[in-house]
Amino acid sequence: MSTPVLNDTQLRILEAVAERIFPATATPGAVAIGAVEYILRALAGDYPEMVGVYERGLGEIDRHALKRYGRNFLSLAETDMDCVLADFENARVDFADAADFFETVRCHVLEGVFGEPEYGGNRGLAGWRIVDFPGQQHGYPDAYINRRVDLPPVAVASKKEAK
Amino acid sequence: MADNFADVCLVGVGAVGGILAKELASAGLKVVGFERGPAPRHADYAPRDSIRFIARTDRLDWVRHEPTTTRSRASATAEIRYRTSPLNVLGGALLHWTGQVSRYMPGDFKVYTNEIVNGGAERAGADLTGYDVVDWPIGYDDLEPYYEKFEWEFGVSGRAGVNPFAGPRKRGYPLPPLRRSARMELFAEACGKLGYHAYDSPAGILSEAYKPPAPYDARIPERPACVYCGHCNFYGCHVHAKAATLYTAIPVAVSTGNFDLRTNCKVFRIDTDERGDATGVSYFDPDGAAREQRARVVIVGAFVFETVRLLLLSKTARFPGGLANSSGLVGKYILAHGDVRAYGLFDDFIVNGFIGPGSAAMRVDDFNGDNFDHTGLGFIRGGTIGTSGEGTPVSRMDVVPPDVPRWGRAYKEYYAKYYTRTFDLNIQPETLAHEDNVVDLDPQGKDRWGVPLPRVTFDFHQNEQRLHRFMTQIADKIMRATGASKVWTGEKERPNRWAGGARMGSDPRRSVVNGWCQSHDVSNLFIVGAPVFPTLAGYPPTATIGALSYRTAEYILRQKEWFK
Repeated sequence: MSTPVLNDTQLRILEAVAERIFPATATPGAVAIGAVEYILRALAGDYPEMVGVYERGLGEIDRHALKRYGRNFLSLAETDMDCVLADFENARVDFADAADFFETVRCHVLEGVFGEPEYGGNRGLAGWRIVDFPGQQHGYPDAYINRRVDLPPVAVASKKEAK
Repeated sequence: MADNFADVCLVGVGAVGGILAKELASAGLKVVGFERGPAPRHADYAPRDSIRFIARTDRLDWVRHEPTTTRSRASATAEIRYRTSPLNVLGGALLHWTGQVSRYMPGDFKVYTNEIVNGGAERAGADLTGYDVVDWPIGYDDLEPYYEKFEWEFGVSGRAGVNPFAGPRKRGYPLPPLRRSARMELFAEACGKLGYHAYDSPAGILSEAYKPPAPYDARIPERPACVYCGHCNFYGCHVHAKAATLYTAIPVAVSTGNFDLRTNCKVFRIDTDERGDATGVSYFDPDGAAREQRARVVIVGAFVFETVRLLLLSKTARFPGGLANSSGLVGKYILAHGDVRAYGLFDDFIVNGFIGPGSAAMRVDDFNGDNFDHTGLGFIRGGTIGTSGEGTPVSRMDVVPPDVPRWGRAYKEYYAKYYTRTFDLNIQPETLAHEDNVVDLDPQGKDRWGVPLPRVTFDFHQNEQRLHRFMTQIADKIMRATGASKVWTGEKERPNRWAGGARMGSDPRRSVVNGWCQSHDVSNLFIVGAPVFPTLAGYPPTATIGALSYRTAEYILRQKEWFK
C-alpha cells in the first residue's frame, strides 16, 4: 500500500480491537485471518470517507482507556480491553458516536474474517473453515440433510466469473 | 426508428417494463424504453460475492446514485438511505429477488367487503383508526389467466392442489417443486404435528431446464436448472435459473426490432399538452443532456418511490398537485411488509442453510388473510409463514440468540458450532394502508442530476403491531415443533416489499388509476406494478405485478384506434 491510511499507533489499536472481536483460540483470530488488511483495503478503496471515522474512533478508544484505567489501550490486559470495548458497544463513553463506531468495526472485522478472500481477509479461507462453510461452490448436487458438507472450501475471484 | 415519435414510452425497464416491452413490441408497436440504470454484464451481477452484494450494497452502481430520504414520522428529520429494493439496473429487482411466486388469494382483493361490510373488523375488535381499508377494483378471476402466463413464461416450480387456501387455477405449474432442503423437511414435519397445511412454496427458479412451450412465448430462450449454490437473494443468478426479465423478456423485445432500449437514461418529467394528455417524457441522456421523447402512450413501470417522485415532478398549471393526482392520493398509503422472524438452532441436526435457494421453501397459509378465526384478536388479516435462513457467513453473522454476545470468544465459539445449524421462519405479514405512510419530494436532498430525492415517511401502526406479535407467536410454536434446541424471535427494523403510492380503484376521487392501471385523469398514462396496489396482502407482490403487466399490455393492444 503506497500511503498508509492509518498511523502506526492507530493500526496497532485496530489490530488489538480486531483480535478482541474475533480472538485467536485453537483456530486463528482476526489478525491472522487478515481482517485488518480487509479494513485497510476498504479504507483505501471503497470507503475513503471512513478514514476519519476510524482515526477519530481509535483515538477515542485510547482516550477512554486512559480515563478508565490510567493507561493506554495497548498496555491493557485483554479483559480490560474487553471492558473498554463493551463501554463503546453500550454507549457508556463520553463520545457520542461510540456505539456506532464499535458496530462499524465489529461488522468490518467479521466481514474481513468471513468475506471472499479477494478483499484482503479470510486468508487461506480460514474464516470459512472455522464455521464449516464450503465457500463459493458452483452448486450442491446433494441436499446434505443432517450431514456435514465434506467439500473443501472454494474461492472464485470475481473477475474470473466473466463470460 | 424515428427519433422523435413512438407509440409507447416506457419509464423503467425492469419486471414491468420488460414484460410490457415484449408484449407491445411483439404486436408491432414502436416502443422506447428508458432505464435509468446500466445494462449489467454477467460479471457485474453473477459473482457469488457476499462482500459486493451483501456488505457493500451502498457502493453498487445501481444503488449509490439513487438514495431516498427516510423517516418514521412527519415530525422527524429524514435521513439519506441507500436501498437495494428499487434496483436501478436493466431488468430491475428481478435480477436479485428471492423468487417466491405466490398468487394472492381471492379474499386478498376484497378486504373492505370482508372486514368492513361483513363485519370482520368488528368481530376481531380491531382498531382501524388512521387506516383506509379498500377493495381492489379487480378480483382474483380477472388476474388468473395472467398469473398463469407469468408462471409459464418465466418458469415456476411448484405443486398445485397442495395448499388448501390457494385460489382456483386452470393449469398447474410448468415444473415440479425444487429439491427439498433440511429446513423444509424440518418445517414440514413440524407443521404435520401441529395440523397446519405445509406446501412447497412456488418459486421462480427452475427445478429443471425449461423453455416455455406453446401457446406461451416460445421465443424465450431455454434456461438451465438451479444448481442450489445458495447465492440467490441480493445476487444475480450465475446460471440464469432464476426468473429475470434481463435474460428472458428483454432480449425477446429487442429481437423484434420494435424496441428502442435506452439505458443510463433518467426520465425526470412526464410531459402533457394543454388538453391534459401525455405527450411523452423528458429525460437526461447518458451524458446528462436534457432531451425529449414523444409518444402516444406513456407507461410508468418504475419502483414505488420513483413513480411518486415522477408524478409529483410532472406538475403543470393544469395539474398543480402533480400529474394524475386530482384525488390527492399520489404518494399516499404507501405499503411495506415487516420482517418478522423466528430463529432456531439445533444441537443434534445439521441444517446447512447455505445450500440454496432461499425460495426453495415450505410455507403455511393457515394464518394468512382471513383463513383463521380473528374473533377478539384485536387485529385483522394475517401473513404467510415459511422457511428461510439461507446465506453465507457474512449474511448470517448477526443470527445470534439474545443470550450469546455478538463478539469475542463466546461469539466465535457459538458461530463455529452453529453457523451450519440454524434456520429461520420468515413471516410476510399484511400491512394496511395508513394515512401517515407517504412518499413526497424531499425539500433539501437532491440526486446527482439535481432532482429532489423521494422522501419516505413510513411506520407500522396498531394493526401491524398486533398482527406481528401474533404471527411471531405462531412462528415460535412451529419452530419449537421442529425440535430446535433453542428458539428466539425478532423483528428487523427495515420494512421491505414496498407498494402503494398510486393506488387503483374505481372511484377517481379515492384512487389514482383504474383497474387497467390507467390514470383516471390522463387517459394515455398507465402506471403498472407495485405502486397501484391498494392493499399489500401477506405474500410478496411479484406474481401480482407480473400478472398486472400482462393484463395491462393486453388492454393497451385492444385500443387499436390509439395507434392508427
